[in-house]
Amino acid sequence: MRAVDDLSFTVEPGQVTGFLGPNGAGKTTTLRMALGLITPDTGTTTFNGVRYAGLPEPMRQVGAVLETAFHPARSGRDHLRVYCRATGLPVRRADEVLDQVGLGTAGRRRAGGYSLGMRQRLGLATALLGDPAVLVLDEPANGLDPEGIQWLRGFLRHLAHAQGRTVLVSSHLLAEVEQTADRVVIVGAGKLVREGTLAELRSGNAGSVLVRSPHSTALADLLRTTGTTVAPTDAIPDGLTVTGLSTDEVGRRAFAGGIELHELRSHTSGLEEIYFQLTAGQEQYAAAHAEQGAA
Amino acid sequence: MGTVVARLVRAEWTKLFTTRVWIGLLLGACVLSGAFAALFTAFAGNQDSGLPPLDSPEYARLAFSIATNATVISVVLGIIGITQEYRHRTATPTFLATPQRGRVVIAKLLAYALVAVPYAVLVCAVTVAVVLVYGNARGNAPELTGENLEVLAFAGLALVVYTLIGVGLGALLKNQVGAIVAALVYLYVVEPLLRSIPATSGAYKWLPGGALEAMTATFQGPDLLEQWQGVLLLLGYGLAAALLGTLLAVRRDVV
Repeated sequence: MRAVDDLSFTVEPGQVTGFLGPNGAGKTTTLRMALGLITPDTGTTTFNGVRYAGLPEPMRQVGAVLETAFHPARSGRDHLRVYCRATGLPVRRADEVLDQVGLGTAGRRRAGGYSLGMRQRLGLATALLGDPAVLVLDEPANGLDPEGIQWLRGFLRHLAHAQGRTVLVSSHLLAEVEQTADRVVIVGAGKLVREGTLAELRSGNAGSVLVRSPHSTALADLLRTTGTTVAPTDAIPDGLTVTGLSTDEVGRRAFAGGIELHELRSHTSGLEEIYFQLTAGQEQYAAAHAEQGAA
Repeated sequence: MGTVVARLVRAEWTKLFTTRVWIGLLLGACVLSGAFAALFTAFAGNQDSGLPPLDSPEYARLAFSIATNATVISVVLGIIGITQEYRHRTATPTFLATPQRGRVVIAKLLAYALVAVPYAVLVCAVTVAVVLVYGNARGNAPELTGENLEVLAFAGLALVVYTLIGVGLGALLKNQVGAIVAALVYLYVVEPLLRSIPATSGAYKWLPGGALEAMTATFQGPDLLEQWQGVLLLLGYGLAAALLGTLLAVRRDVV
């Protein structure tokens, strides 16, 4: 099964980049390949020009959380100490990062008894151990309560904007990264769907016009010229969605053609709607593939 | 690379000693060997048991090789050492911290070989204590000298080598329960069968069990290698398991 196909993008420092896509779009596979855990057929990922496996002290340069993985019988603090030793960091870093993510005293308890939110925080603490310039977080908001999500947003923004780190956060929900991310990379079915700032994403889809007329077929013919698209809209009967024309231009053409209009307004898509449109159908595609893979 | 491996070995020890698995296994090994030592001493010279009498050199060899019964626990220790990374999915952060996966496996082998030494010493000490104290109470304990001491040392060595075989087996199978069950079936069903069936007993001497028996054997058994050959063969199995485990861990995707 081809989970990720010809996907290429760049993540810049000082920004939070959201890595978006529906479940099964290949986000986790992409991140695992980037971090050298899965070997891709072709292609490379580099951090400041060096592949992950070639970094001399990877945890001091790239902090990654791909899943909340720890031994349930080991305390969060001991879990962190293991990786301090493996990376040659002083073990006091374990206590420092525990405080940083707000786990503090809970760090001495068995990690098996942690709530989902505490597990996410422990994962984040593991990534922060080496004080890395790059953070790669796979679905870090999963299982966090609203307060936790609020905290995570502020924390990630602080890491990127105030401290100048490169932060890549994957999510299947746009709403989760909408208030955090400066840029988004959207994937669907293993391919790049859209890449850019949230503002670019908004403006690229803003110019649609909603028009309603009893003579919608004639109106559609009139408006359908090069550079425009005209399609019936489900929202209202006899309505048309027009892109590539302003409301002024639609009104002018209708007046010139003598066609009666009952409604004319501009329509701006919300980000969620744009994201949904961009990735619509991708999920089904992925599911169908998964079934083939299992058969 | 030396310092990197040294700190990875320390990381492995931190992993091992921050859960309680090691205490359970150590106690289990001591109880197992101690119980066998008590049983053998109690029935030594008993006509029905077929055990040699307390004052015979055969009994001395048998008594001081009893620690080899704990090799099964050595294997389990090695298996858990590597498969817990897959079971609890900590293989991901472990290989993120050290993308050179070969180093991780080498560190595990070193860490577990070094841990297995005091573990083997303790298990042997418990065995010797039971044999000497109980033997004296029954009137005649074997002396811990010469050839007897050699048997004891080889029994201890076997405990260490089987730990390494466990690490290799764990890397090979990844699944903790599967690897432990496979090890138990092999040690308690497959090898004894191969040993007892005349058609296959010739091949038995080349298996780990055959090598172990060559190192410490007392009973009239099947055809075995020389003692030193047994030592080399068992070390070879440990090394082969380690090599295979390293290669597999390096090549397989971590998902």
